[in-house]
Amino acid sequence: MSSFREKWAEWGVTLPSLAWLALFFVVPTVIVFGIAFHAPSADGGYSSGFTMETWHAVVRTPYKEIVWRTIWISAATTFLCIVLSLPCAYAIARMKAKWRAIVAGLIMLPFWTSFIVRVFAWRTLLNPDGFLQHLLVSLGLCTPETMLNYNSGAILVVSVYSFLPFAIMPIYTAAEKFDFSLLEAARDLGARSFFAFRKIFLPGVRRGVVSAALMVFIPAIGSYVIPDLVGGRDSELIGNKIYQRTFPDRNLPHASALAAVMGFSVLVPLACVAWWFKRQDAREAKRLAEATARKLSGGAA
Amino acid sequence: MKHSRFAGIVLLLVMLFLYLPIVVLVANSFNLSRYGGEWAGFTFDWYVKLFTQNQPIWEAFERSLLIAATATVASCVLGTTAALALHRWKDRLQTVHYGLIYTPLVMPEILMGISLLMMFTAIGLGCGLFTIWIAHTTFCVSYVTMTVLARLQDFDDRVIEAAYDLGASPLYAFFKVELPILLPGIVAGGLLAFTLSIDDFVITFFVTGPGADTLPLKIYSMIKHSRQMPVINSLSTLMLVFTCVLVAASRLVANRRHRRPAAAKALK
Amino acid sequence: MDLASEFLVFDHVTKRFGALTAVDDVSFSIKKGEFFSLLGPSGCGKTTLLRMLGGFERPDSGRIWLDGKDITDAPPNIRRVHTVFQNYALFPTMTIWDNIAFSLRLAKKPKAEIEESVDAMLEMIRMGDHAWKYPSQLSGGQKQRVAIARALVDRPQVLLLDEPLAALDLKLRQHMLLELDTIHDQVGITFMYVTHDQGEAMSLSDRIAVMNSGRVEQLDTPAKIYEAPVSSFVAAFIGDTNFFEGTIVATDGDYCTIQVPGFAAICAYNDKKLDVGQKVHLSVRPEKIRVTLTPPPPEKGARINVFQSQVTDVIYQGVYTKYWLKSGDRSVSALKPHSRFLLDQETITWNDNAYCWWHPDDGYMVENFSALDESLVQTTPSAAPKGAVS
Repeated sequence: MSSFREKWAEWGVTLPSLAWLALFFVVPTVIVFGIAFHAPSADGGYSSGFTMETWHAVVRTPYKEIVWRTIWISAATTFLCIVLSLPCAYAIARMKAKWRAIVAGLIMLPFWTSFIVRVFAWRTLLNPDGFLQHLLVSLGLCTPETMLNYNSGAILVVSVYSFLPFAIMPIYTAAEKFDFSLLEAARDLGARSFFAFRKIFLPGVRRGVVSAALMVFIPAIGSYVIPDLVGGRDSELIGNKIYQRTFPDRNLPHASALAAVMGFSVLVPLACVAWWFKRQDAREAKRLAEATARKLSGGAA
Repeated sequence: MKHSRFAGIVLLLVMLFLYLPIVVLVANSFNLSRYGGEWAGFTFDWYVKLFTQNQPIWEAFERSLLIAATATVASCVLGTTAALALHRWKDRLQTVHYGLIYTPLVMPEILMGISLLMMFTAIGLGCGLFTIWIAHTTFCVSYVTMTVLARLQDFDDRVIEAAYDLGASPLYAFFKVELPILLPGIVAGGLLAFTLSIDDFVITFFVTGPGADTLPLKIYSMIKHSRQMPVINSLSTLMLVFTCVLVAASRLVANRRHRRPAAAKALK
Repeated sequence: MDLASEFLVFDHVTKRFGALTAVDDVSFSIKKGEFFSLLGPSGCGKTTLLRMLGGFERPDSGRIWLDGKDITDAPPNIRRVHTVFQNYALFPTMTIWDNIAFSLRLAKKPKAEIEESVDAMLEMIRMGDHAWKYPSQLSGGQKQRVAIARALVDRPQVLLLDEPLAALDLKLRQHMLLELDTIHDQVGITFMYVTHDQGEAMSLSDRIAVMNSGRVEQLDTPAKIYEAPVSSFVAAFIGDTNFFEGTIVATDGDYCTIQVPGFAAICAYNDKKLDVGQKVHLSVRPEKIRVTLTPPPPEKGARINVFQSQVTDVIYQGVYTKYWLKSGDRSVSALKPHSRFLLDQETITWNDNAYCWWHPDDGYMVENFSALDESLVQTTPSAAPKGAVS
């Protein structure tokens, strides 16, 4: 009787959020996937017949090119973010507790400000009449004719800028738990400082690095605002194409198929990382169990 | 030693990189020059223009506040119940439930935007403030749930048992004991939801309808059409200040608990 | 057992968690006002028993009676049984005062009465100055006192204490033991105390139930449990002991002779009138064994057990010194209290040849034993330093 009431209580507490997300997250996702199997209709909707035509279109140019560009820009962004984050996280984790909180807060602060405003700030900064161009020209690093804005390079810089806090934070959290006396021990044993960093610090924070990579790669793949505001005509990403097919072209099946492609390019690394974490956990649990068993048998002997 | 110094220099450069655009933006909001390439003199003109000649911006701001407030309330209710369920039960239903809560956190925003748009189109629901509210509530629920869940995992479940033990009914124990404990978590989740809602562009962009532009949409269209760029600078500066105040306020709320005993004593 | 006349009765209570039987057909009763302890190693079922009394678990079979009423199915908020939790479980968002007033407010008592009762409780636990603090601002001992006051304020029928001192350090624990004793004397409420620490149970309880793998092994006064354990488990769990397993080879009035393989014949008091051929475990507490360099004087009595042995380990522990001796194939532990430091008897050190001896009345025969219990007996000096005090 009591377990029956317990079941009711569980459903009662679970249902609001479960139903909401089922209705506004699962159902729409299924619909998007479904629409990709229909042909567009003249009125901007889609016709009822089943077709694979959309999928054939997706694997051909120019879509293929856009998908590849999106993936390599996202990968490059992720790489740059990690490379910059490692020394930052290391430096913050070695500070005194009070300073750590302040610097971590300062790194997160831009994240709390409007995203669109930050991208806009870069757009003005990279503008031919903007501050950066003036600075670089006066330093002799570029000519007044160089276009800083509206290309893949600009997308890369602004993406790194926007997603960097997402990379620093998980690595910093991992670095905070890292036992720095290990590094001293390694150097004490004669390891060169970079060797110690690579062989001891890096493996110590690898979980943080993997989370960071995911935290950057996913929003980078889904990027729309950045390529739209600082990208050019020949640096379109999947996000722009989805928008273009949805609104100006009103070709919903194509937009849906592109969305599905984007979903897969996010799910694949996500599943890999989930699998990797699980394996790490299992290994750690096994190691712990073995150590405990060894201790027990040692104590009995 | 040498290594620490190298890392410190990288950190300093990264901080410069993170704040350079913001500093330039704030500076340009006081710059007479229209394009902000070089300093042409100090002015308050853009702020004056913002307040006197830009009624649509303020209307969009009001809409943003309205949506953020209502979406925050809805997502706090849904997120708190979700966290309670996830914490209390660990069966297959909750595994599915957790999956539903977690997935939106790792899905690119644009996917949620387009799928909601497709659904609203499919069921013939006209886009406008209502659809924006639905979309915002949907993505905020996950964030609130995670924040409240973290709080729940921090505290000892025996406290609830202690309340039952001393004679409390489940409802009394929830409202008098559990909810007060969760409140800081719910407030933190709510603040996060509010910030995310106010700031959201991509999802809103897809599910908006005629006359339902929120502030980020308004700013976007001004940027797109290169209209009144210096006014956007001044508006952005005000938004930065606003956000900083909000973040500082939330920090104060989080720290308030430590000072309350003195206040309680003074009341007695 | 007359269910109606006893105060608190466990009547054939069983509780299973999956394949594990946590509480196995337990029956006993507790008198009103008694300080009763459930003592046992972790996983013996004592906490499950307590949680069933508190109403947090329901037995699979059997009933629980309190003051003539069957409370087996009553939810926790209905029964007038309050728990002091191991980690205190104070309400973190309420002041100390509000924590204590919780149950009175629930019962909708008049305001004046609430204030009076809470202030009286604060007085009793000497925490009046801390009334407006929050639990996070208190020390462990203070939190524990508040938890006790909160559970006692509305005069429950039974107070359950679930390892209440486990989270405190040694000095504080000893202080709180005295305090608990005083509180029990003051309020006269039935206390049911769960612990794995035999020292706590021994010093506080009127009676103790020693539990092992879901069953009550022995229910008796502390002295009886220490001096006359019914099983080798109880003998080994309560304090330290030497076990000699052997067979009775001769009886002589009140005494008998036990032949122990690899050791000598031992004379023991045969209170149970066991017959020749009976296999027994003889338990001899270390403090009852004397260690001397010279043999005991003959006037100590002819029956005395004397064995030649070699000292293998000496561990000085302040109050006493613990000796490990090898006699025959056996290792024997013995305690020697220090009454006069330096002026004390002859010094006995490692590798000395010494006599260990004890009176037959100091050995206690146990005929129930299981191989598992051997693990509870200290056999290696490396495990010894914790000593018999804790």
